[in-house]
Amino acid sequence: MKVSFPYMGCVTGFKKLFELLGHEVIMPEKPTQRTIDLGVLNSPEFICYPFKIMMGTYIEACEKGAELIVSSGGSGPCRAGIYGDVHKKILHELGYDVEIVIFDSLFENFGAFMNQVFKIKNKTPTLKVMKYAYLVFKMINQMDGIEKELKHLRAYEVNKGDFDKCFDKIKELYDKTYTLKQMKKTYAKALEMLHAVPVNIPPENKRVRIGIVGEIYVIMESSTNMDIEKRLNALGVEVENIQYISDWVKHHIIPRRFSKEESWKMFDKGYQYKSCNCGGHDMENTGAIVHFSQKGYDGVVHLMPFGCLPELITRSIIPQITEDYGIPVLSMSMDEQQGEANIQTRLEAFIDLCKNRSNKQQISPAEAANSKELKKEFAGIM
Amino acid sequence: MKIGIPRALLYYYYYPFFETFFKELGCEVVLSEETNAKIISDGCKVTVSELCVPIKIFNGHVVSLMNKNVDYIFVPRFISIGKEWYCPKFIGLGEIVKYSIDSMKDKMLIVELKNKTDIPDRIEDYMPLAEKLNVTKAQLKNALKKAKISFLKCRKLSLQGYTIPEAYSILKGKEVPPPMQKADLTIGLMGYVNNVYDDFVSMSAVKKLREMGVKVITFDMLDENIIKLDKSKGKQPFWTFARKVYNAANYLINNVEIDGIIHLTAFACGPDSVIGKMMELECGEKDIPFMTIRIDEHTGESHVQTRFEAFTDMLKMRKGAK
Ligand code: SF4
Ligand code: SF4
Repeated sequence: MKVSFPYMGCVTGFKKLFELLGHEVIMPEKPTQRTIDLGVLNSPEFICYPFKIMMGTYIEACEKGAELIVSSGGSGPCRAGIYGDVHKKILHELGYDVEIVIFDSLFENFGAFMNQVFKIKNKTPTLKVMKYAYLVFKMINQMDGIEKELKHLRAYEVNKGDFDKCFDKIKELYDKTYTLKQMKKTYAKALEMLHAVPVNIPPENKRVRIGIVGEIYVIMESSTNMDIEKRLNALGVEVENIQYISDWVKHHIIPRRFSKEESWKMFDKGYQYKSCNCGGHDMENTGAIVHFSQKGYDGVVHLMPFGCLPELITRSIIPQITEDYGIPVLSMSMDEQQGEANIQTRLEAFIDLCKNRSNKQQISPAEAANSKELKKEFAGIM
Repeated sequence: MKIGIPRALLYYYYYPFFETFFKELGCEVVLSEETNAKIISDGCKVTVSELCVPIKIFNGHVVSLMNKNVDYIFVPRFISIGKEWYCPKFIGLGEIVKYSIDSMKDKMLIVELKNKTDIPDRIEDYMPLAEKLNVTKAQLKNALKKAKISFLKCRKLSLQGYTIPEAYSILKGKEVPPPMQKADLTIGLMGYVNNVYDDFVSMSAVKKLREMGVKVITFDMLDENIIKLDKSKGKQPFWTFARKVYNAANYLINNVEIDGIIHLTAFACGPDSVIGKMMELECGEKDIPFMTIRIDEHTGESHVQTRFEAFTDMLKMRKGAK
């Protein structure tokens, strides 16, 4: 069957899985202006931004003849839960005969999850399905690791664009990898390539680090956040993004008792501010801001789709966290109307502020107490 | 002890429950006044601008209660019914209020409700109140029992076709004319209780429609059994009230002779953007006229009036033509 899936960060891993299962993969295009326009045009007006972009991606996939779209439903009160159904209805209305399979989280409904996997497994023997899943899982993990490092190093690249080119090549390498054995080699090669890119790393006390938290879709997919990581890197700061596909898969597929994942720890750190999770990943995000400040980061950028319910709650807590931990946080909403210039200005102002703060080195408790001032300072930016 | 209850959000569904509950515990209940321009502007001032209007209004009511010299302000945190969730903003209501309104921290009386059914009477959820209100578990239990009775009384009235404010009046012993039986048109007015019944928000939608000779049916006038979560019908909205509204619309479309559906929704409501579209598509399939009225802080009364008129005129013409 011709399979497609939404574009979400690096998609090499997903592609591999469907290929191994013997499907013809229709590669989703990286969302472009056309995708966004299509999505906006065909979605309910007040639905959140990720829905619209996914809508656009789906339509483009259908135009190319996709027969099956695989998406993640997610769990909890907010996540894209019934979005799949609405997407499907709209696609049918537009005259595309397409099936949408939504992956639910494994531990909430194991039966349903397995059913979904079998729906797409395409006569592959079960054992092989497991094996492929493992391979792909490992691959996503490795690529995420590489990307993470890239976002640190890219801040210091000597020739602009080197790292992007390098990563494209790495993606190609992985694309041609089909077995665990090959993957070992690919990984070594990839790391080698990454470290061969010339960089100019300043002394430790001059390095500025920014954490990124927020709604998973907009923080993972660069076309929905105006390439914020690249912009930050270009301003000479290192970026650490809290959510990678691999973390997310782990969080959702491995039940808490068996997993000591970072994201669960974040969850616990968030607990002091709120006693329950309100949907998406707001609990983790609240915790993540705390986590970044404890690790000595210079600032945090919080990204959310305009009007996103759970993240609005994170946003309302941010001033309190800044007050308690003294970490500056810039919260921005993304949607189809967000202008590039606006984002750039706000980022620059924010980074200046963070840099000024880090010149003062670590902030003392007295200063933290003073951060009420800071809070005010931010009120303007936020 | 004086307990303030904001006249917003689920006040329009659970007030009889909580009023009885607190009174049974020997507290005095203070309600905020009806929504008015000042409440809305106060609410907008303290709340993050991206939030939906009903939440801003809730905050406005909290602000107004702050000036009323109460000991506590009751902010119930509705989390889930069985496996179903409330709108994320209900779940986060505690945080939203706490972090939008300074000095609210010690005044807030929070309970976290994870009910099994429509009736929020799980004793475990209320235990944290025991200390603050200085009451025993037995007292709480008793109060919950009484609260449940009041709530069910009110539900019964709703099922007879009374609107919720009418039902509240009847419970208070006031005279209310009986619900309309025969009418030129029957319209399903779909929307959350806090939008439909807050006259300032809906511009008295029910009254206006009735004046135009319309019999209005809302989701709360249907039995919970009819609109309950039914997984066999495929995926359903998993936000409690969204599910109620959506299933009610579905039921009306398929089982009742209705002439049209009006969806009354608040600006920037997340769940509604989904169910609104779903209702629209379904009405389209069954050839039932559908209209959305979206309200925000600035919606004008005449605008709503005109749209209602146009819609009912159209329905009457359709009916005549048949
Ligand atoms: S988490 Fe936010 S963006 Fe994602 S589905 Fe929910 S409201 Fe939309
Ligand atoms: S259901 Fe809609 S209007 Fe009500 S609180 Fe949630 S987002 Fe706001």
